[in-house]
Amino acid sequence: MTMPAMCRGTGKTGMMWILGFILLLIKLVLVLAVLLGMAAALVLVERKLLGRFQIRYGPNRVGPFGLLQPVADGIKMLLKEDIVPASADRVIFMLAPAAVAMTSLLIFAVVPFAEDLTVRGRRIPMVIADLNVGLLFVLAMSSISIYGIALGGWASNSKYSLLGGIRGAAQLISYELSMGLSLVPIVMVSQSFSLVDIVNAQANYPFILVQPVAFLIFLVCSMAEANRLPFDLPEAENELIAGYHMEYSGMRFALYFVGEYVNMVVIGSLLAVFFLGGWRGPFLPPIVWFLLKVMIVPFFLIWSRASLPRFRYDQLMHLGWKVLLPLSLLNIVVTGAVILVTGR
Amino acid sequence: MLSKEIMVDFLAVGLYLLMGVIFAVIPLIVSWMIVKRSAGVKREETYESGMQTIGSAWIQFTVAYYIYALIFLAFDVDVLYLFPVAMAYGKYGGIRDLVEVFIFVGILSLAIVYAWCKGVFEWKSREE
Repeated sequence: MTMPAMCRGTGKTGMMWILGFILLLIKLVLVLAVLLGMAAALVLVERKLLGRFQIRYGPNRVGPFGLLQPVADGIKMLLKEDIVPASADRVIFMLAPAAVAMTSLLIFAVVPFAEDLTVRGRRIPMVIADLNVGLLFVLAMSSISIYGIALGGWASNSKYSLLGGIRGAAQLISYELSMGLSLVPIVMVSQSFSLVDIVNAQANYPFILVQPVAFLIFLVCSMAEANRLPFDLPEAENELIAGYHMEYSGMRFALYFVGEYVNMVVIGSLLAVFFLGGWRGPFLPPIVWFLLKVMIVPFFLIWSRASLPRFRYDQLMHLGWKVLLPLSLLNIVVTGAVILVTGR
Repeated sequence: MLSKEIMVDFLAVGLYLLMGVIFAVIPLIVSWMIVKRSAGVKREETYESGMQTIGSAWIQFTVAYYIYALIFLAFDVDVLYLFPVAMAYGKYGGIRDLVEVFIFVGILSLAIVYAWCKGVFEWKSREE
């Protein structure tokens, strides 16, 4: 239900199409601006919070309370030279960061972020594209983003980068299955792949109440998906220096950086949509509820970064294959039994 | 055959991708125009903790987890088949659905049990 639904049924089809197109463009620009703005703000929030966790102030020199720090960071990166190592594979080296940034942005295309707006009898859906295979689209995109890490690490032709890329791939094959499997019960309960339908299915209660195990599995997998501590093996700074993005500099490094932070926001929004009822909530407007729920995951990730040590990568693989995977398979069968007994 | 609505939805995703690319490319171009460039041979070397870079990173070595990767590949396809099963779950009612899911998941689990028993999930330090 996007543009055609708004366009059909009137005589001036052409006009309606143009109007729908303009609405879509406005929505796209707004979503991108908010998403990238949140990513920039998150950099500051992370540094501030990390400072507080470690009993220091964090950045407080640029602007009032250090609020302009993201701007300063951005200008600094803009002014840095973009160096490509002589021995690197030039084309792949230059394209790899885009894979990380683009896929994390693309996932957000199917995330509904507020209740549908009705202006003069015309419904404007607050989602870019309500794909009927939304959930599969999310899984596909999150798998593709690993190419940015693995290829970026390989193309640099540097030992540390290569190790980072290989660890990234190891990480993917450990958590990806459990992540997909933890969403199967959600589909069983909501009977739809569309993220809009999944939010609508949570009108009475959020799925975290009926799927606590799936929620926990998804949360652990999302830490691995975001490449954050305790699962930041691909970039483990005290053994691999910076891992897969070590040879990157300037704006190309910024692309990786922005991709990582957009990814945190996107994972937060996925958790909100699948388990916390998306934009639904009492009293406050939908968009406020949505933003509040989205911020849970980034805060949790920053908190865990400040408090947990890093896993070794065979430990991570054991966690994925021996704990999370059996648990998520068991969860599917139990969910099936419960649905059968209670009748959904 | 894709319906018109679905086509429009995918067009919207395509447009979104295009906008994202524009958002990413503009800073790259701006940066390319205004940066101060340095010169020298050393700056194009890959970083190795300040030492002279020794050899290429593109050499042959063992990726210890390749068996995991093989199992992952098989498993990932199976998981994809589990989604339609989940979608249809409860449509026909009764105990039959549960038995079918049980068999499906059971066979999937057997693959893990088999790999586990075979010792795939143990990392041994390799002797020369």
